[in-house]
Amino acid sequence: MKKSLFLFIGLLINLSLFGQEQEYVHGLFRGTHIISGQSAETQKKGELDLFIAHRFGRVNSGFYEWFGLDQASMRLGFDYGISDRLAIGVGRSTAGKTYDSFIKARVLRQSNKMPVSVTWASRMYVDATAPPENQPLLFVHRLAYSNQLMIAKKFSERFSAQIMPTHVHINLVDLVRQPNDLFSLGLAGKVQVSKNLALTAEYYYTPNPFLLGDATRPLSIGFDINTGNHVFQIHFTNASGMQEKALIVDTNGNWLAGDIQFGFNMVRTFKLKGTRY
Amino acid sequence: MRFRVVNYSKHKRLMKRLLAIALFAGMVWSGCYYDNAEEVYYYYQFTCDTTAISYAADVEPIINTQCLSCHSGAAPDGNVALENYDDVKFVAQNGSLHGTITATNGYSIMPTSGPMPACNINKISAWINAGMPNN
Repeated sequence: MKKSLFLFIGLLINLSLFGQEQEYVHGLFRGTHIISGQSAETQKKGELDLFIAHRFGRVNSGFYEWFGLDQASMRLGFDYGISDRLAIGVGRSTAGKTYDSFIKARVLRQSNKMPVSVTWASRMYVDATAPPENQPLLFVHRLAYSNQLMIAKKFSERFSAQIMPTHVHINLVDLVRQPNDLFSLGLAGKVQVSKNLALTAEYYYTPNPFLLGDATRPLSIGFDINTGNHVFQIHFTNASGMQEKALIVDTNGNWLAGDIQFGFNMVRTFKLKGTRY
Repeated sequence: MRFRVVNYSKHKRLMKRLLAIALFAGMVWSGCYYDNAEEVYYYYQFTCDTTAISYAADVEPIINTQCLSCHSGAAPDGNVALENYDDVKFVAQNGSLHGTITATNGYSIMPTSGPMPACNINKISAWINAGMPNN
């Protein structure tokens, strides 16, 4: 008893002497995704996100395809926050009939003592498309992986930026001359225009994406609209992918040629633990 | 008499963590392959690189493995020898090379055991279409 009292007093003195407690910076980005890629944010403990991402077809496909709205590709995902610093999730994309699962951990959080937030995310992909007739396909050849480090900083209430070095590994590529490992550097930013509206942009620079056929680099511009419990993100992009592998490897749209796709992300959060909304 | 008490719980926790990391790393690295369909699924050829076909690198090896056992020597089958570039260019120009490997235009199939993998046929066709370069 005496001991704990001393400890308590010691702690108080300690606090008063060495001042500030760790104050975390919140709201680096509005959601756990910026546009197609992830942001340094994770779910809070006990939160389950139903994440619905949609990309329509290309705007330049003309009136017959209703400027792309006739073709839609989506990713449906469930993300769950195990703790405030650790999240896991699963998803399924239309493109490539890809199942993915990820683990995402906040390594560092921006605070009054720490200048940046660092989040690590690792994802595994299973391509479930059927191989051509009479051709076997080993299960391991369906797999791909991505690792991403997201270094984010909230400069002010209005502006946040993030860089994300990313590595993608594909177990089976098509041609001998294609690399199994791709490295890419992502850049993203958010500008808060008003209380409920933010402008976002995201770009992945892959030094040599052209080894994979007609690959281009994904550039996306979007708006975050806050509607209470939902986060609604609408955007224009040349990438049809909604996870890192598809973004970095499968993007082949050209902004200048009008290969622009309209899309949106919708997030609905369910709180499974703690106080309900 | 006093026994020295060693606190193993710390070590145990560390070992558990190391084991978990090792297991995780093992899972990640054992699942990591560096394969390409062109080589791994060669026979099935669901991909075939027919860009920049070279005679020495692409066509000649196919001819050597698929044709030379009969079409060479002092008395080649059908009086068609395929021993060098000029021989192959000759049959390519008169259409019999493409005709026999695809069994079109009235030619019967070559090799006689059955058609070659589709990629081989595609590569030879691409080489013919490119003007039969000797490269």
